[in-house]
Amino acid sequence: MSFGAWLELLASGLITGGVYALVALGLNLQYGLMRIMNISHGEFLMLGAYATWAATVGWGLSPLLMMPVAFVLLGATGLVVHWLCFRRLTRTSATVDIFEARSLMVGFGLLFLVQNFASMVWGGELRGYDFMTQPVAVPLTSGGSQFAANKLLVFALALAFSAALIALLRFTLLGKAVRALMQSPTGAQLVGIPTERLHPLMFGLGLGLAGVAGSLLSMTEAITPAMGEPYTVTALIVITLGGFGSMAGSLAGGLLLGVVEALGMHFTSPSLKMLLSYGVFIGVLLWRPNGLFNKR
Amino acid sequence: MTAALLEARAVTVRFGGLTAVDRVEARFSAGELVGIIGPNGAGKTTFFNALSGVQPLTSGRLLVGGVDLTGRAPHAFAQHGIARSFQTPRVFGEMSVADNVRFGLQFAGRRRAAPPLLRDEASILALIGLGAQAALPAAAVTPSQQRLLEIGMALATRPRLLLLDEVAAGLTEAEVEAMAGLARRLRDELGLGIVWIEHAVATLLKHVERVLVLHQGRKLADDVPAAVIRQPEVIEAYLGDEMAEAA
Amino acid sequence: MNLTNHRSTRDLLVLAGLAAALLALPAVASEFITSLALSCLMYAALASSWSLFCGATRYLSLATSAFFGIGAYVTALGLDALPWPLLILAGAGAAALLAVLMGAAVLHLRGTYFAVLTFGMTELIRHAVTYGEKQVAGTVGRVLATVPEPGTVYLTVMLIAVAAVATAIGVRRSRFGLALAGVGADEQRAQTLGVNTKLVKIAGFALTAAFAGAAGAAMAVRWTYIDPHTVFNPFIGFQTVLIALIGGAATLWGPVIAAVVFSLLAETLRLQLPQLYMMVLGVLLILCVLYLPSGLASVRWAGVRATWSRVTHLLNVRPRGHGRSA
Repeated sequence: MSFGAWLELLASGLITGGVYALVALGLNLQYGLMRIMNISHGEFLMLGAYATWAATVGWGLSPLLMMPVAFVLLGATGLVVHWLCFRRLTRTSATVDIFEARSLMVGFGLLFLVQNFASMVWGGELRGYDFMTQPVAVPLTSGGSQFAANKLLVFALALAFSAALIALLRFTLLGKAVRALMQSPTGAQLVGIPTERLHPLMFGLGLGLAGVAGSLLSMTEAITPAMGEPYTVTALIVITLGGFGSMAGSLAGGLLLGVVEALGMHFTSPSLKMLLSYGVFIGVLLWRPNGLFNKR
Repeated sequence: MTAALLEARAVTVRFGGLTAVDRVEARFSAGELVGIIGPNGAGKTTFFNALSGVQPLTSGRLLVGGVDLTGRAPHAFAQHGIARSFQTPRVFGEMSVADNVRFGLQFAGRRRAAPPLLRDEASILALIGLGAQAALPAAAVTPSQQRLLEIGMALATRPRLLLLDEVAAGLTEAEVEAMAGLARRLRDELGLGIVWIEHAVATLLKHVERVLVLHQGRKLADDVPAAVIRQPEVIEAYLGDEMAEAA
Repeated sequence: MNLTNHRSTRDLLVLAGLAAALLALPAVASEFITSLALSCLMYAALASSWSLFCGATRYLSLATSAFFGIGAYVTALGLDALPWPLLILAGAGAAALLAVLMGAAVLHLRGTYFAVLTFGMTELIRHAVTYGEKQVAGTVGRVLATVPEPGTVYLTVMLIAVAAVATAIGVRRSRFGLALAGVGADEQRAQTLGVNTKLVKIAGFALTAAFAGAAGAAMAVRWTYIDPHTVFNPFIGFQTVLIALIGGAATLWGPVIAAVVFSLLAETLRLQLPQLYMMVLGVLLILCVLYLPSGLASVRWAGVRATWSRVTHLLNVRPRGHGRSA
């Protein structure tokens, strides 16, 4: 395979990986901070995609405009979901393990609820629209590679949002508070960090990011009620690979997984994609349950 | 020379960079009342975890009654007669006190010789003084009663060696005396070996015949109390004023 | 011990009575009712055997679909080669074998990991079978040609369900059941008291799998056309868990009763409004986890009755000022 072909493969893997990273960051925020394994995360991605599609096709709005709208919409949904479903669990669970198991079950309930809601409202047919599909030449090699403009846009925006989140966590006071909470819940509370307010806020933020990812994906992928689940699985793989609670790990892990997937599919077969994903997932969970980047 | 019930040979437990237990050698025999003392972080509970199979060894060997049980799961240790109580009582909260005791009888205690004192849960409950609480759920009894229940559960496995982890912590003087009396009775009437970790040094030294001192994972001393408290390394590392009192 | 014996004798008697009634059902009821009963029996078997292991040990297994599907495929592959009873046993056996392999790999992990892993492995198997079928057979589905009579299927599933509940009764009063309860209460403590938890967990997991596999093997012929998407459908696993949790995973009859209720609900709603049914399930699951984590069977019905009688008594009391009778 020529060098150029390698680079193209790598690039397309990175593009997919960018979205993986964005989704994983949202999930990691929820699990790393609150130990909520939100298995319905992808469903909110799907809602973001449908919302963007509906606005674009129904009202002619540009998807770029819908992105912040999707963020706010799903962020608000996240606040409501946390308040309704997870807040009580925090109070009534005796140990962290019990809380985790229960929030996993609540997540499954949400998965049923949201996916079937979408199926009922929008039906199961594939939806989609065209936006910025013209090919753009990227000077990767002497011959020049071509990528669809919307895919490049997705990659750029995914990276931008990921970087924004990481910057938020690293450089703002809010971010410091969140990181403190992640490292030591009791200690953080002792110094006055308001857990009660931060948890729903961060849960909402995580879901908002999923909505944005869905919005981005609506530009390049077909939209169906079932589209979210593979992204949840991928996000789970990424946060396991990158380490629970490690934002940089999710970013790196997402990009890495995108590349691995692209390579794997190229050398084996595209229909093996899900098989490979789950295989990697199980392998990582069994071999390194604490993540690849943990020293243990 | 009595055969050792439990022999620890160069037992080492390392967690990443931290060496919690460092090449500790020890022998425990039937009918002995041995204490283990050491400051916080000395590795006492980790040592106990190793001795009962709960904590895998990084290196070293563990022989129970001459049989090498290194690397085996805790149930193998229980089946060979090593029983332990936990520092924070780990009782089965939703089961009754009697059922908690019966649990050990059903498993490790099943194929072991049953002395009359450990014949069934009623006799064990009588031995530890919880007969009146037999039908209560274990979560409903007081913490010090739970501690007694812990011992009862361990006894139900009909052990030859009983490891007691800080059973006197937080008890009044009278209660500690009662606990020590129980330990002595177990040794006298059942011929058990008792190994007792305790934080309150002066208390322990009054009741045991031999004491091990652990410090930063290493064994500093292993002798009768009177001799140990005079050892310079022990005084320097750990005891200081407290020993001047006890001496 | 006496109380347990009395309770299990009573349970066995109830079970025997139910079995007799179920046996007579096809003769007296319509085909629709019988088919409804079949559905109930299938989930009763699945939920009951799931609770046997997961209720006691508190391990959340989402692998039911994998075991069910394996059983179905055993039937698909062996329908022409093996006699019916042997086929069912083979389905149970294959599922149990899968459970032993899976269990050896993942049973040492704690709660959430275990749940997510069993889910992942089930999906992996589904995708693997899909891929394998495409490579080997060209198409993804299989048609089952020589199918036994509906009466046989009904009888088989009924026997499986009865056997599942009977096994649950037996296990609950056995040493094995005590070991499982110990694993659920405090695994390490149980180990130090002499329980070989690794063996106990794998055995329990395999037992659960065997019944699911048998159920899958039997139900496959009812569908006559099977493909990985149908028989390895993760929804089967979710519904089983849901039923067991809402009914009360640690109880004996809770899952059975819940299985009946949900199968009826499913049959009535599923054809007209399948999405609504699933949404209701989702909401129910959330409500159950939030407010009734030990399931409906754990609600103290005696307490509810007492509260109810107190409330009605209050409503009958004369208003103040009218004085009491002297």
